[in-house]
Formats: sequence, structure tokens, C-alpha cells
Amino acid sequence: MNRTIGLVTTNYSLGDFGVLTAERPEAAVPFGGRYRLMDFALSNMVNARIHTVGLITPYYYRSIMDHVGAGKEWGLDRKDGGLYILPGTVYGFRETDGAFLFRDFIHNERFFRQGDGDYILVSSGTLAANIDYLPMISRHELSGDHVTLLCRKTREEDRHAGYFLTVSDTGRVTAITPGDQGDYCFLDSFIIERSFLLRLMRDFDSLGRMDFMEILRMVLPDVHVGTYTFDGYVAPMKTAGDYLRASMDLQDPGIRGELFTRDRQILTKIHDAPPALYAEGSRVRNSIVASGCVIEGSVENCVIFRSVRIEKGVCLKNCVVMDKCVIHSGARLENVICDRYVTISPDTVICGTAQTPCVLPKGGVI
Amino acid sequence: MRQKECVAMLLAGGQGSRLGVLTEKIAKPAVSFGGKYRMIDFSLSNCVNSGIDTVGVLVQYKPTLLNRYLGTGAAWDLDASWGGVHILPPFATQTGGEWYEGTADAIYHNIDFIDEYNPEYVLILSGDHLYQMDYNLMLDFHKLMGADLTVAVKTVPWEEASRFGIMSVDDEMRITRFSEKPKEPDSNLASMGIYIFTWSTLRAALLADHNDPDSENDFGKNIIPALLGQGKNLFAYVFSGYWKDVGTIPSYYSTQIELLDPNAPFKVHDTRMHILSNLNEHAPSFIGPEGQVEHSMVCNGCQILGRVENSILSPGVSVGAGAVVRDSILLPDSTVGDGAVVERTILNERSSIAPGAVVGTADKITVVGDSSTMEV
Repeated sequence: MNRTIGLVTTNYSLGDFGVLTAERPEAAVPFGGRYRLMDFALSNMVNARIHTVGLITPYYYRSIMDHVGAGKEWGLDRKDGGLYILPGTVYGFRETDGAFLFRDFIHNERFFRQGDGDYILVSSGTLAANIDYLPMISRHELSGDHVTLLCRKTREEDRHAGYFLTVSDTGRVTAITPGDQGDYCFLDSFIIERSFLLRLMRDFDSLGRMDFMEILRMVLPDVHVGTYTFDGYVAPMKTAGDYLRASMDLQDPGIRGELFTRDRQILTKIHDAPPALYAEGSRVRNSIVASGCVIEGSVENCVIFRSVRIEKGVCLKNCVVMDKCVIHSGARLENVICDRYVTISPDTVICGTAQTPCVLPKGGVI
Repeated sequence: MRQKECVAMLLAGGQGSRLGVLTEKIAKPAVSFGGKYRMIDFSLSNCVNSGIDTVGVLVQYKPTLLNRYLGTGAAWDLDASWGGVHILPPFATQTGGEWYEGTADAIYHNIDFIDEYNPEYVLILSGDHLYQMDYNLMLDFHKLMGADLTVAVKTVPWEEASRFGIMSVDDEMRITRFSEKPKEPDSNLASMGIYIFTWSTLRAALLADHNDPDSENDFGKNIIPALLGQGKNLFAYVFSGYWKDVGTIPSYYSTQIELLDPNAPFKVHDTRMHILSNLNEHAPSFIGPEGQVEHSMVCNGCQILGRVENSILSPGVSVGAGAVVRDSILLPDSTVGDGAVVERTILNERSSIAPGAVVGTADKITVVGDSSTMEV
């Protein structure tokens, strides 16, 4: 019997994605040609044989619900367990002060109470990584700890606002520090004992406005908090520049192979587009291309999402072009992110830089 | 009694022996086609797009992959609570078991299944035709004519008529004669193997046919001539769209390569008639720094490090660095090693071409079999 249930939060954003997150929460940002960021968290849970997953939604949950539906693609349309939509309490699209608003947990207490899981695996919906959670779950079960935090030794790219951990020789977390440095970087995912979480909800009922990590900091001296280190690839997701870089990372066969390994597939909503069509004279180099595209122009170092049309004489370099964009003939784009349904008029020239790409809003006609 | 207006019965038990190694391990309707599809997708999608939500799929030859592919029918939105896809294999009874001995015999053994839905009409389909058709229009015609049987027909060139089952009709499209591969045809309306029967008529005909020891239990050879002989109302419905029976390696090859033509009559990129499939779990494809793809269709899950021209790549295909793939059809999960040259070749599922190997020539079609590896 599986003793772990899952929880994915999709209602906060710690980064600054500009117009990409103007009308959607960060967890619903399209990524990798056919996915949304939250596909990783959902798939990681399902791949760890977790069959009950709660999804904390933003106040405006249309894009989230459109994507997950009844959880069919993740095998979560089940009689026993399945996908539970848990209304979040943050007004607007996102909370910006932390990943796990405690009030969201308290308001959905029934979800934690009714299930039969002894442990709850919590993940941010924006964590773009392919994580094998089974060893982490085993580690937690064997340790008897109250909480196991997912972390890694701090790397250069981790030095931005977040939580950092100090870990003793015996693997115990002795300090949790907000800021931008520390030995270990918390990766926005943890396993918590259910009875312990229910106790915290009762004891800190009045502190719902705080982040779960702040509550954990307060009780840290009295509880057992362990860590599990993840050394694999985590897509950096703080700015539009990060987003472009993470998209370009997919051209690396090692990273692509790791994120999209057939052993632990990342699942997503299926659109059933026909194969991509490459016309006579098209030139595509070092790029990710999804199905349904019709390509007549030239594409280099790009990620092209489903059903994009790229006409003759178009030249795209270092771009991310999301679903159903149309790039008309003769247009030249470099370091540009086109949100979905963007139309680029003939002979338009747009250039951003790798650090600050030009981001075109959804449905825009340029 | 609760009733479905029309139930479709899809004949998917055939071996398709003319496709050779492609059907060595799987039934013909399960053969990969057009990149991300399998042959059965076209008929199934037509059913869904025509509002027919109950489909019995008659399987017999090597059904494992087909069964797995169909699953619950959810991929075609055919997982209905009353209706949906039903896989119907031959089965044992108290008096023993029998294989399906012919197309009509397969339906005969499933009379109980059809009776469950108590339909007014039964639509008989094949799982190996390439076409997009709204069966509702044909059903409307069937009702309007008060027909017992309506046969979908296609106008074929006169010089080819002797290769088909030919329907002779009068001015109102009433079928007056049916001749299988006539030497001197008096009509050029060829049967497409798509029938709508009024169920009560078909039911009686199947029972009579089963009790006739001389019958081959075949729709074309036995059922249709018998109904014609009884003076039943048989009509021909002319279908003017694109339709292809993909029965041989040359036609399997050429109908697919034709899909690459921007003016191809069969449009997989037409969003109005959505063709659904169940091969969707791959990440988008990757074209490498030295990769080159022209005049080709590429599905998700491919990795292309070499050159691909005028070819179709199914999901999960890998083309190594420096390799050249020309005028070829690469079926799911097949691999072309570094530096290999593949020309005018059908590479079966999961087969691989060793690095540096040269396969195929421009003047004939080469087929590389299942799980076999060509060595240099």
C-alpha cells in the first residue's frame, strides 16, 4: 500500500517572468515545446506511485483547470484517490512571498484529514526537474523524521532569494535561513508526516498568513528535519532570461535525456497534433520542434511549440515560440520569446539579448 | 428497450499478408502509418467525427499490439459508459470454439453483442483504409432510400474497374448487379467495403448464411449476392472524397510519401477533421546542430543528427550523426546509426540500421523487418 499522498502548489511565483505570467500563474508557464511547468511536479508524483494528489490552485484557475482536467493524462482519474482540486486562498494569480502559504493548507485541511496517507509529499508546481522521489520517500520512512527537505549543495545559480539550510554531520537540519546564501539550497519540495502537519495546523491556526517554511523555522529546535539531496538538473526559473536559458539547455542531449527519460516520463495534456511538416528549403538546426508545426523558414537554437507556422524567408535564432504562433515571411527574430497565439507580420525584425529577451504577450500581433 | 441508432463493426482481424514483415507480428490495422498514426485510427476517427460512439472491433490475427493500442478507447474519446470501443475476439462456447471464418462469420458470432445495443442500423468498416468520411451523410442516404443495405462506392477509372468489386446501378442508384473483379465491367463504381445495413435485414441474412454449408461467409461473395437475389433494397452511395486501400507495400509506401506533397488530397494537417491517435507520450523532437530536415514529416520523440529528405519519421526515431535518410518511411522507435545511408526504405518498428550501413536503392522499395539489425 502506498502511504504517501501528494500536494502541488500552483499559486505563487518567486520569479519575474514579465508578460509570461501576466495572465497565468508561473506553474502554468509553457515549457519545452509541449509541457507546462507543473507537469514536472505532477509527473514526478505519479512516477513515484503516488495516486492521490492535491493541487492548490490560484484564484484565477482557468489555465490550470484547462490543463489538468480530471487528471486523465497523469492516470489520476481514479476511483481510489486521484486528483483533488484544492482552492488556494491567494487573491490574484500568485503569492510572491513564499511557496507554501500556510493558510492554503489550513483551508484544505479536509484533504489532509480524509486521505489514508501517512506522509505528504509537497512540491512547488514550478520545479522543473525529473526527480525520482522513491528513494526520498524511503529515506523519510526509515528516518522517522517529521520532515525531509529536498535540497542540493548551493550552486552559483542558486544564489537568489529562497531558503538555505545548515545541515549537521548527522544529516539533521539545524538552521533554515531565508536570504540568498547558505550551504544547502532548499528545492521547494519536502515530505512531511501527516500527523505532524495536522498538529502544526492546529497549533498555528492563527498564523495562516505565514509561509510553511517560516512555521518550520519556528519549531525547528523541537522537531526532526532531515534532507534528501537531488543532484540532477533543475531548470533555473527566476526571470525571462532564466527561462530562455533553461529552454536552450534542452539542446544539451544530457539534460534533455535526463528531463525526458522514457523511464520516468513527463506527462502532459494531449492535443493530438499531426506530425511536424518540414517544407522544401526549410533549415532547422539545434532546435526542439513539437508536432503540428509547419516550417518553411530557417530556425536555429530554438524551442518551437505545437502547431506553429514559420513561413518562407523567416529567420529565428535563440527564440522560444509557443503554441499556434504564426511567423510571416521575411521576419527575423533573435532572443525573443513569443507567448501563445502571437502573429509576427512579414519582414518584422525583433531582437532581444540572451539575458533580457524580448517577450511578446499572448495573442499579440506585431 | 434502450437503443443505439447505429453501431459500427470494424473488421480488424485480417493478416494483411501482402505487407510482409510489417504484419509479421501485428495485425494490419495496427501497422504504423503517416508518422503518428496506426491504420485503424482513420476509421475510428471517422466514427467519432460522425458521432458514432459504439464500435465493435473484430480481432483475430496477432491482436496483442492492437488490443493494447485501443485500450479503453479513451484516446478517441470512445470510452463511453454505454458504448465505446469493444474488442471482439473469437471465443469458445459450450459446443466448442471456432475462428472467424470470414467477414460475415465474424459479425455472425457477435450477433449477441449487437443485440445488446438493439440498433436500427449497423455500419461495417475495415480497419485498413485511408480516408476521411462523414458516415452520417451515408446514413441519411440509407434512410432516405429506405434501403436494406447501402454500399459506399467510389468511381474508379474504367481500365482499373476489373480489379474491384463493381456495383451496377440504375438511375436511382439502386444496385442491380454486383460482380467481383469482372473481366468486362459494365460500371466503374467500386465497392469501398463500407456497408450500412438495416440490422433486422443483416441479422436474418447472417443466420441464413451461417446455415449454408457452401457459403464462404463473406460479405462481398455471399451476403450481398444473397440479398440481391431476394430482391432487397440495395443502394450505392457515391463517395467523392479521397479513399485508399493500403494493401500492398507499393501502395503503403506511395500513399504515405504523397502526404508530403503540399497539395496532397489527404490532409493530415486539416484541423476540421481531427484524426486522433494513441501515440502521444513523447517529448518534442530535436534537430541537432548538424541536422537537416527537408520536405519531411517528423513526429515527437525523434532525434535527428543527420540529414533527412522527403521522408516520414514516426515517434521515437533516431537518425545518427552524418547519416542520410532519403525517400524513406521510418516506423516508431527505429534507429539509423551514425553515417548510415537509407534510401527508399521502410524501416519497421524498433528495427535498427548499423552505423555506416547502406540500405536501399533509388529504384526499388526496401523493407527492413521487425527488431532485426542490418549489419554492414
